[in-house]
Amino acid sequence: MQMLELRNVSKHFSGIPAVDNASFIARAGEVTGYLGPNGSGKSTTIKMITGLIEMTYGQILFSGKPIHDDLIAYKGRMGYVPEEPYLYTHLSGAEYLAMVAQLRDFAARSSAERIDGMLRLFSLYDDRHASISGYSKGMRQKILLIAALLHNPDLILLDEPFSGLDVASALVLRSLIQELAARGKVVLFSSHELDTVERICSHVVILHRAKLVADDSIEHLRSLMKLPTLEKIFAQLAVEQDPPAMARQIADLIDA
Amino acid sequence: MRKLIEPLIARLPLDFRVLYHQFLLRVIDLEALSIQADIPTFLGQFAGVLMMLSMIHTVGFYVSLVSTRAPQDFLAVSWYFEHYFIATMMLVVGLFTVIAWDSTFPDRRDAMILAPLPIASRTVLFAKIASSCSIWLLAVLTLNFASGFVLPLVLGYAHGGLFGFLRYLAAYWFTMIAASSFVYGSVLTVQGLTALLLPRRLFLRLSAILQLAAFGLFLGVYFLQPSLSSPPVLAEPGNQWIFASSPSFWFFALFNQLNGTLPPALAWLAYRAWIGLGVVTAGSSASLLLCFIHTMQKTIEQPDLVPGARGFHWAPRLGNSLTTAIGYFTLRSLIRSRQHRVAYAFYLAIVCAIALSVVRGSLTARAPAPLTSGFLMSTFMMMLFAIVGLSRVFALPISLTANWVLRIAQLRPTEEYFAGTRQALMWIAVLPWWIVSAVLSLSFRPAHQVVAHLAILAVLGSILADLSLIGFFKVPFTCSYLPGKSNIQYVFWFFAMVIIPLVASGANHELHALNHPRELARLSGGLLAAALTLWAFNRHRARSAVLYYEELPEEVITTLGLLSPRSFAAPGASHAEVTHES
Repeated sequence: MQMLELRNVSKHFSGIPAVDNASFIARAGEVTGYLGPNGSGKSTTIKMITGLIEMTYGQILFSGKPIHDDLIAYKGRMGYVPEEPYLYTHLSGAEYLAMVAQLRDFAARSSAERIDGMLRLFSLYDDRHASISGYSKGMRQKILLIAALLHNPDLILLDEPFSGLDVASALVLRSLIQELAARGKVVLFSSHELDTVERICSHVVILHRAKLVADDSIEHLRSLMKLPTLEKIFAQLAVEQDPPAMARQIADLIDA
Repeated sequence: MRKLIEPLIARLPLDFRVLYHQFLLRVIDLEALSIQADIPTFLGQFAGVLMMLSMIHTVGFYVSLVSTRAPQDFLAVSWYFEHYFIATMMLVVGLFTVIAWDSTFPDRRDAMILAPLPIASRTVLFAKIASSCSIWLLAVLTLNFASGFVLPLVLGYAHGGLFGFLRYLAAYWFTMIAASSFVYGSVLTVQGLTALLLPRRLFLRLSAILQLAAFGLFLGVYFLQPSLSSPPVLAEPGNQWIFASSPSFWFFALFNQLNGTLPPALAWLAYRAWIGLGVVTAGSSASLLLCFIHTMQKTIEQPDLVPGARGFHWAPRLGNSLTTAIGYFTLRSLIRSRQHRVAYAFYLAIVCAIALSVVRGSLTARAPAPLTSGFLMSTFMMMLFAIVGLSRVFALPISLTANWVLRIAQLRPTEEYFAGTRQALMWIAVLPWWIVSAVLSLSFRPAHQVVAHLAILAVLGSILADLSLIGFFKVPFTCSYLPGKSNIQYVFWFFAMVIIPLVASGANHELHALNHPRELARLSGGLLAAALTLWAFNRHRARSAVLYYEELPEEVITTLGLLSPRSFAAPGASHAEVTHES
């Protein structure tokens, strides 16, 4: 069975841990939510899983094999949507996707058909020859999604994939994530939108101050902590401030 | 000097100073390419190179003048150099306007950032003009640094002693500033009118074409117009249309009118200069003003999404899929990124100048000429500058933050990426200039020697491509290179003292070999062996190399050390430490 496994993964920047001893498993057929406040180490973990940054120590395995044993083969099976929509903005949407397909060694004809199909489904077909520099944040996000899914990956890493998407596109993406998981993909999904996470994830991993504080099914966490929603669970595990008090302080400061 | 200028600058409004500084950084496109460029260093080097050129030209002028005997030759030499200095000044300012294209007009970034701030439009306008004029004046002053004093001294003093010198001096500097204003103002007028008359979307597309057209025009006019070799040339009826349509001759006449030596028959040329200057000054002022009033708003109101070009989007394969991906990425980056286009234009300017010099020689020749070492050298230099230029531009990043996609999709070994990069260099730098050389060769004979030279040139192209890619295990435009850190003066002298003599000697050797079959076989064999060895060497190294991507610096958590005792004891040291850490 396909699964992604992290064993005691750590990343230190100048001796300060950004991720400390993270261990969890994301299984095929389920969507694993990866949650945490800003700066807790979510994106760093995902970048380590993509191979973009080296871990300080620990091990990452996919389908039971350490990913660094054959990183090229692993990259061929992975799709990644980064947190920020950084793209080569001097290219058009179609050119960018064609370049990604060529880098992944797709046959020209089948990649063109697939790109056109995806662009139509994501409502980008009419703007496919426009420069990405003119794309809105949502359009860029769609290009990232298409580029990540183009090669039918077994492992899908989504770092804030709903960022900038309109309501209709967000609803499609929500269903798409569930559909992909149902088709046997391993999906790791990082987001701040707890509502969405609660709807589409069966399993969540919560990170706080670089350490894992929860790794369980949402259902089990609810009954364990006797809290009705994921938001309340998250607030208890990973939010240190009292939000209304903070809001009052900010308003007072502005008024002063 | 600094003590004198600083209080004056301090009296200017703060918003003007801040904007001026920001715009100044953006006028020089090469600097905008680097992340931590050192502007004063770069400007110093830029000025240094122009001053060196000024000294070289002035020495040439002085030596030529001293070696003339007859009075009519003296006049011919002085006229030739007067026109040469003016035409060169106009070329340099013209190329500067190409480099600083659009920098005087407000762009979308300016409009979006500055419009919501409480800054008057006139402050933005003056800061833009001041920043462009600073670089332009720097070019005028440094390029005439030696000639601007020696020419009036030698010619003016000979004509009328101290008064003659002072009159020549004033005439020289006025003419130079007027001629360069004319070039600068002409470009501003054309840009401004285009921006005002065309829809913004169309203007943006046309602007890139206009930039390249201006680049070609400045180089073409400079290298193809006849030189003023003698006064009879000026009087020849067949040449009148050239003088009438060439601004450098107008300003040559203006200079002589101002210093009192213009023959009355040429007064009409000087009037053209005055009229041209007036028209351009009025045109550029009006278009700048109108642009700032209308274009700022037009820029803000334009839709974010500019539709792509409709029609046929044909992109044939350039080899395997990876080579195709790298090839198109390279070509599109080079064509669409203004910064990369301009950086490569520096090198192409030299290549085009060499090509145009050959064309000019060929145009004057009535029949096919035998191959000369000068022609062979020209083709070598074109190839050299095209390859070196493109490989340097390869090292300039287009978007470091977007490199992640290349890393994520890196499914093949470095060797194949290296082959893709090499092929892109061959397609974009070697092949076009080899074709240009082949076309230029048509006016030379015998044919078998021309064919042999073109074969040698192709092998040399391969050698130069491999030499320029030694250790370049990167995808083009994914790494950062800091032009501000490279010392242009050293590079200039290295080319002048080492490369040019080496190429000249190589051309002589080849010319000799072309007339001796056995030696030609030896030379070709040697070059072919060198090409194959270099190719194999690079492939071998690429097999064990790791593809290198430069990213933005890793996020590093650092403390500012504000509570350390040192930060209180030595503010200067503390500041340096904080700057370094951040």
